[in-house]
Amino acid sequence: MGCGVSKSNQFHKHSRKAAVLIQRWYRQYVARTEMRRRYTWHIFQSIEYSGEQAQIKVRSYCFSMRSVCYAVFSHQTELENRVYLAGNLISHIFRENDVCWDTEWERYFCYKNIEVPEVYSGPHLTFPLTVEQAVGLLEAFRNKKQLHSRYVLELLLETWKLLRLLPNINRISTCQSKEVTICGDLHGQLEDLLLIFYKNGTPSLEKPYLFNGDFVDRGKDSIEILLILFSFMLVYPCDVYLNRGNHEDHIINLRYGFTKEVLTKYKIHGKRILKLLQKIFSWLPLASVIDQKVLVLHGGISDSTDLGVLAKANRHNVRNTHARILSKSTDSVSSDTTKDEWRQILDVLWSDPMNQDGCMPNEVRGGGCYWGPDITEDFLNRNNMQLIIRSHECKQEGYEFCHNRKVLTLFSASNYYDVGSNRGAYVKLGPDLVPYVIQYQASSMTRELTARQSVGRTERSALKVLREQLFAHKSDLLCAFKKFDSKNTGLVSLNDWASAVESVMHLNLPWRTLRCQLVACKTADGTIDYCDWFNELHIDQSLLETLYRHRSTLETIFRIVDTDNSGFISMEDFRQTWKLLSVYLKMEITDEDICNLAVTIDSNQDGSIDIDEFMEAFRLTDKKSRLERGRSMFMGTASDLTKLEDDPSV
Amino acid sequence: MAPKKDPKAPAKKAEPAPAPAAAPAPAPAPAPAAAPAVDLSSVKIEFSADQIEDYREAFGLFDRVGDNKVAYNQIADIMRALGQNPTNKEVNKLLGNPSAEDMAQKRVEFEAFLPMLQTIINSPNKAGFEDYVEGLRVFDKEGNGTVMGAELRIVLSTLGEKMTEAEIDALMTGQEDENGCVNYEAFVKHIMSV
Repeated sequence: MGCGVSKSNQFHKHSRKAAVLIQRWYRQYVARTEMRRRYTWHIFQSIEYSGEQAQIKVRSYCFSMRSVCYAVFSHQTELENRVYLAGNLISHIFRENDVCWDTEWERYFCYKNIEVPEVYSGPHLTFPLTVEQAVGLLEAFRNKKQLHSRYVLELLLETWKLLRLLPNINRISTCQSKEVTICGDLHGQLEDLLLIFYKNGTPSLEKPYLFNGDFVDRGKDSIEILLILFSFMLVYPCDVYLNRGNHEDHIINLRYGFTKEVLTKYKIHGKRILKLLQKIFSWLPLASVIDQKVLVLHGGISDSTDLGVLAKANRHNVRNTHARILSKSTDSVSSDTTKDEWRQILDVLWSDPMNQDGCMPNEVRGGGCYWGPDITEDFLNRNNMQLIIRSHECKQEGYEFCHNRKVLTLFSASNYYDVGSNRGAYVKLGPDLVPYVIQYQASSMTRELTARQSVGRTERSALKVLREQLFAHKSDLLCAFKKFDSKNTGLVSLNDWASAVESVMHLNLPWRTLRCQLVACKTADGTIDYCDWFNELHIDQSLLETLYRHRSTLETIFRIVDTDNSGFISMEDFRQTWKLLSVYLKMEITDEDICNLAVTIDSNQDGSIDIDEFMEAFRLTDKKSRLERGRSMFMGTASDLTKLEDDPSV
Repeated sequence: MAPKKDPKAPAKKAEPAPAPAAAPAPAPAPAPAAAPAVDLSSVKIEFSADQIEDYREAFGLFDRVGDNKVAYNQIADIMRALGQNPTNKEVNKLLGNPSAEDMAQKRVEFEAFLPMLQTIINSPNKAGFEDYVEGLRVFDKEGNGTVMGAELRIVLSTLGEKMTEAEIDALMTGQEDENGCVNYEAFVKHIMSV
């Protein structure tokens, strides 16, 4: 019927129109979400890398302030004492003090007189380790048990003995049709390691594994991850391989959480464990080569990377990889290790690939370099290889190819920046040497959120972090704005605002795009009242506020000052530390303020400050819970601090 | 920074027949600006300096190679990220109806992108809340303010610029009630509240 046909035509036309409308809208939504995700990612990554760089700056500042400190301290009342103490303090921080032989150290690390109490409910280890014990350890950690320090030390000692026998470059082969499983950064995230073992099986003779560095820091179970990896390595020394990462370095650990984790979990023997780990880290192999064709290392290469040089270097002499940049002396590197070897090791641990040809220093990280596709091509040809697998950079999908698929970045810590931020991945490599990637995401929170909620959450926490950073740089920002505002109107154009902010923050973020999230006050013609803006960023001016904002730097300095790793610093050290920090940050804090603060923090009035208690007040340990519970960290009075101590949920 | 190349003028395409009935033109007005051959060099840029800087920054966010350009297959998304709502078809027209290989390989720099964006902004295809509700009312068989989720899914995956199952799932999450129905006014409010 004519009627029927035209009616259905009409319907079809309308339904098509409706479909297209919705599809267009949906694609717009996806594109806008993707953009938000990208700049959120940028924020986290920029802050992470600039944190690493700040770490170096703090150290180098402390070092260069040496002479100033003498001057500052000499104005104190107890002159000689202070000068002596300060001098000692500063030089002790930067001196590497182990001239003992290995045998002497073995005696120091002896575990034999450590008693395991009856009430201990964790696993008991006997050596040589068996696979049942290694698997048992895995189970125990899954059930949130802690390994007793006696067994920790024993296990670490055995590990140390094994590592000393290993070459700088592991040689792995996929003969007998074995597939090697390669994992990237784990960063203390036990859930991810358990997930990998669940999906892929635990290490065994048939299932060799290679772990590509950065096992520790940031996540809360770094020591457990190490213990698991080491125990499997002891059971299967020819089938479990470890590469060193840039976080296998005790100076980095001071800032990024591993030191604190160990001292918190092992209150009595933590120091000894950390000292032993320092040595173990320096003995970790630098790289691995599979079937002579695939190079696996943590950071990357540079235009001068030479496997021959790396194979012959004394790798254990490079204990912390940043030192040479700062110190004028060669304290941290013995004379056996040449400058070239040292620099090559740094490149291997810190470099990042870039898309342009060439090779240039990696100023963002402060170590290693950026290397281009031409360098990859050249290196692979010279060494008759076909692929480089590296880690070191978080990738949203857990992995990313670049340089014409000749470089593969692999990252195994899912939800790294925040819940839902990224997946993790591991790679299986068989005799055909074609990488087969498996992705995953540790699920505790993610499945409950839709993609949109997940992006929203991550975005909110990124912006919060960014606002804190901006406010922490208030005085520098004010200076920068004033430069653009010669007539002192209090206003700057949008362009000038973006330039000024970037010139101070150096985060290379899309400030214009972020502007609507960061600036609410704007005049009709689009200029920004910068004083209003600072008020809007709304952070209380109290001293505790200031401490909170600079907590990472503060904690780093604390831990450097706490040279015997006791977890305590004296009141005097605290005062001097704070003085250093306030000079570094160009802030005005009176001595009286510091004294008052120090007294309130020393809650049991015994003249020393428990670092952990102090920083715990800022809830550093659990980043996630801080974000999830959304509780305000801003406390006005000292009594709040003591109240928190009794709060069981803190 | 890569040296600037001359902006590419996309090849002028032959004029198609006036848009057929099924084309995505909501009004009976003449076909939108994209239908006749597009001469991008004659498009007058009407953006303010501030807007251009905003767009330039967003453009940079999508540049994954570092050559200050983006791939053809990213253009539609950048425009959407900037608040526009082009169909893939409209964007393809602007790019000169490139092949699938061109879409993946060819790249566009910012100066060439601006006239494309201007063209899309100038086109009269703006849909508002009412248009979406009207569009969905078509499926409201009982006239009670709801549509069947299942029917919507079929339509979205078979008509127009088809969506994949994963995309549809993401869109419809939490929208269907226990009978599988979607209240479309609420749905439109939801989709417009990005």
